[in-house]
Parts: sequence; C-alpha cells; structure tokens
Amino acid sequence: MKGTWPAVAFFAIAALWPVVVRDPFLLDSLVLILLWGSTAAAWNVAGGYAGQVSLGHAAFFGLGAYSAALLGTKWGLSPWIGLLVGAVLATGFGILLGFLSNRLRGPYFALATIAFSQVLLIVASRWRGFTSGSEGIPVPFRPGFWTLGITDKRIWVAIVLVLAIGLYLVELYLERSRRGFQLAAVREDEDAALSLGVPALWLKVAAIAASAALTAVAGALWAQYVGFVDPLYVFSVDLSVRFALAAILGGIGTALGPFLGAALILLLETYLRARFGGIGAGLVGIYLIIYGTALVLMMRFAPQGIVPWVGERFRRRPAAGSAS
Amino acid sequence: MSLLEVSGITKRFGGITANRDISFDVEAGELVGIIGPNGSGKSTLFEVISGFYRPDTGAVSLDGARLTGLPPDHVCRLGVARTFQKLRPFSGLSVVDNVMVGALTRMHDVRHARARARELLDRVGLAEKSDEYARTLSTGQRKRLELARALATEPRVLLLDEVTGGVDQRSIPGLVQLVRDLHRGGLTLLVVEHNMRVITAVAQRIVALYLGEKIADGPPNAVTRDSRVVEAYLGQAYVQ
Repeated sequence: MKGTWPAVAFFAIAALWPVVVRDPFLLDSLVLILLWGSTAAAWNVAGGYAGQVSLGHAAFFGLGAYSAALLGTKWGLSPWIGLLVGAVLATGFGILLGFLSNRLRGPYFALATIAFSQVLLIVASRWRGFTSGSEGIPVPFRPGFWTLGITDKRIWVAIVLVLAIGLYLVELYLERSRRGFQLAAVREDEDAALSLGVPALWLKVAAIAASAALTAVAGALWAQYVGFVDPLYVFSVDLSVRFALAAILGGIGTALGPFLGAALILLLETYLRARFGGIGAGLVGIYLIIYGTALVLMMRFAPQGIVPWVGERFRRRPAAGSAS
Repeated sequence: MSLLEVSGITKRFGGITANRDISFDVEAGELVGIIGPNGSGKSTLFEVISGFYRPDTGAVSLDGARLTGLPPDHVCRLGVARTFQKLRPFSGLSVVDNVMVGALTRMHDVRHARARARELLDRVGLAEKSDEYARTLSTGQRKRLELARALATEPRVLLLDEVTGGVDQRSIPGLVQLVRDLHRGGLTLLVVEHNMRVITAVAQRIVALYLGEKIADGPPNAVTRDSRVVEAYLGQAYVQ
C-alpha cells in the first residue's frame, strides 16, 4: 500500500499557504489548483478507478454550475442548495450514462460522453428563456457564507480544501476497500470479475454516478467563485479534456495524482502565458505551442504520470522482470 | 436430487446450433469430464452453465435452484465458479489481490480476504509469487492463479476449462495432481479437457459431445471405447 505522507504534506502546505501568503494572485492560484484538482480527482473515480474514460465530464460540471447560478438568480435560493440540486441531477445523468457504459465500451463510451455534454451545451445555449442562452449568467454577489458571497480568498481556500480532501479520501477508499478492489477487478477484466461474483454493472454505475455528482459539486463552487457561467465554457470538450488531462498527467488511478497534475497544468499555463503570451509578445499564441510541446514531452518521458514516475524512483523495485 | 442438473440445453447462434438438447447431472463430490473434438460445443455449454450465455431452451439448476437466466456474478454467488480457457488474470493487480477479489465475494473484511487469499496461494503452490504483478506469471502459474481465484469464491461446483491447455508438458502433472487433490478434498468438479490421457485419468464419469450433441455419458473406459466417440475423434475407419 502506498504511503499517504506525500498527500498529507500537500494538503498541509495548501492549508498553511493562506496563513503565510497574502498575495491575492497566489491565493487565487491555490484556489484554482484545489478546484481543478478536485474535478480531476472526481473524473478519476470513473476514468481511473473504474476504467470508464469519459470525455464529457464538463456536462456534470456545467450542471452543477448552472444549478447553483440559476436557482440563485431565478428564485434567490442559496448556492448550497443549488450545489445539492446539481449533484442530484448529475447523479441521475450519471446513472443513465453508467447503464450506457455496459453497452458501449472503451472509445464508444468516450464518444457517447462527448455527445452527452454537447447536448447539454445546445440546451443551455438555446433555451434562452430559462438559461439566458449563450450570453451566460452573471452570478449575483450576495455577501455571506450561506450565499457564498465571499471576497476573502482565504475562506475560499478553506472551502475548496475541504472539497479536495474529501475527494482524496474517496479515492483512498477506492484503493483500500472491498468495493475498491472489486472495482479494480472490473477495470482489469470485466468478464473475469463477473465470474468471481463481482456485481460489475452495479459497481460501474455507482462509480460513474459518484464521479458525476462530485464533479457537479466542484462546478457549483466554481460558478460562485468566478461569478459567471458561460455555456460555451462550462460544457466544452476543452474542459472535459482538462479534467482528464490533469488526472492522466498526475497518474491515472492514483489518489494524489489528479491534484499534482492540476497544479502542474495551472503553473505551466500561467507561467507560459505571462512569459510568452499577451499583446507584447513577438509571436501571438506561441505559448500554446510551448504548452503543447511540454505536455507531449511529459507523456513521452513519464507516460504513467507523476505519481507512478516518482514512485518508481523512490521505492525499492520488486524482483527483476516485474517492473513493466 | 443431483447437485448440478443440466436439462435440455439448446443454444443457437444464428443458423448454427452449438448445443442441442444436452442433459446430464453431476452428483455432489463427483468429478465429471466433458470431452469432444473442436467445435463440439464444450465451451458453449460452459458459458451457459456459468451464466455468460442464456440458452434458447433448457435449464441449469444447482441443488434445485434455477441458475438459467441469472447474470454470471449471481451464478457465482450461488456457488458455481469457473476458470477461463483463454486465461484472464487481472494483470495490473498483484497475485494476492487477484485471489482476494474472489475471496471478497464471501467476506467483507479486506484483511481477512487477503489472509484467505494467501492460504489459497499456498495451496496451489504460488505462495512465493503472491506480491508480484499477475502479468509476470507464466502460463502454468496463471492456470494456478485462476484456480486459486475461483476457489476463493467458495464454490459448490467448480467448472474448469482446459486445465492443461497451452501448458508445457512438465507443468501438466502438477496441475493434474492439484485437480485431484481438490476433488479428494470433497469439491465437485466439471472439467472440460482436450487431453484424453489427463481426463480419463482423473474423471469418474465422462460426457462426450460431438457437433453440439451428447453422444456418450459414462465411466471413462466405457466412453473412450464407445464407437460414436471413436468415430467422432478418429473417423469411421477406426471403428472396429
């Protein structure tokens, strides 16, 4: 069993960061790392632990964001209630998608998830009367914790830290519990798992539904933090890929990986944009090329992701022939 | 009542009838072999009994409880475990975790299940490989792993698909001995096997299939002398 001390260190640094650092830009970065890390960890529950690779998880993120924003603007309800409603809706759609995964395996499942997120994008951007269409929804700022109108970024760090630690614990559960081992068996070989009495369908549906609900929770919080919900962003394939990418870079199916992957992506992106992006840069858009190249190189030299890559270097290797 | 009852199983794939009206019983504690040349319907029958295929007609029951129509995981929980002809280890998991997945079907505590898995690995002679990845095992070792994994689900009937298939000659006696030991320990087994020498040596009774139909059912020496069996395997010229 892998040690948990790197995760303890990671979350301890995140918790102490606001005490030491006052710079709003650095605090903002931390909030985003924890938030994107949480979305990647939520994706990992289905994509990593259950082996159901989704490229449409933005659908659930958007459901959460829209639930919180719409319930707030239309009926003045608390975003916490919106968060709950979003999670329930995402669970419902997640169950549906879970049953679909039994028929569609591998790439077909991924394609179905993309289609699903695109359907929601069309609904959100065309249903003008309800969602304001493609203009998006500005989330009203109502000061207070119950309405999540919070300007102090340190409080935001605390909120997303709770979410992030919660997700880490969910992943730890999947690595150590009976259900977790059964789910790993389903991921490795579904028929073999069935032959051993593992309720494969039930487990897959549960994993996808949980993954969807947790993604929606992150989406609801994100909407409140950023203050604006744009359908073309929250339902985009770009965003779905971002969740998957962070988990894959960090180490698919590892508990801490998604958070490290998210941190790496955010830091790389921010640095490159500041260094090479903007109007003053000689070549507009060159930072995207460098960013892409960096990702390719990382996948070339550490294809399994950060956590397994580091693990191989610091753990004693098992007997010869078993490292592959 | 027999422990496992197979009655009137017919399974078609389009125009091909893979199993036609096959019936036989397996008594508790018995070791029954299923033989037949390639394409005779052995594997299909196996998939039907283990719940992976649904037969067009007929029924399989365990101790009087109907299995037909139940999904394979349910069939396993009721007490029928199987191995696969084409081996299917959980490659990315350690050997002990592979077996533990089987044990977790019967027990909820992960530590107990792991301890049970280690016992079973010891019994099939894989103890020293426990902590390796399953993908590092040889074919013979994988066969043993599949056995241990299936045993961990505490089956009342164990279905073995080609225990010696694809295994090098030196590993065969050990595997055969293992099957014998399991039978001696009181386990009921239904074994599909190509290797005639192996099956006639271990089975108490043999069911022979040919082109989807049952052509013989009886003690090994009687079945191997049965003219229809000889004809199915060797052709008309060899029937005396």
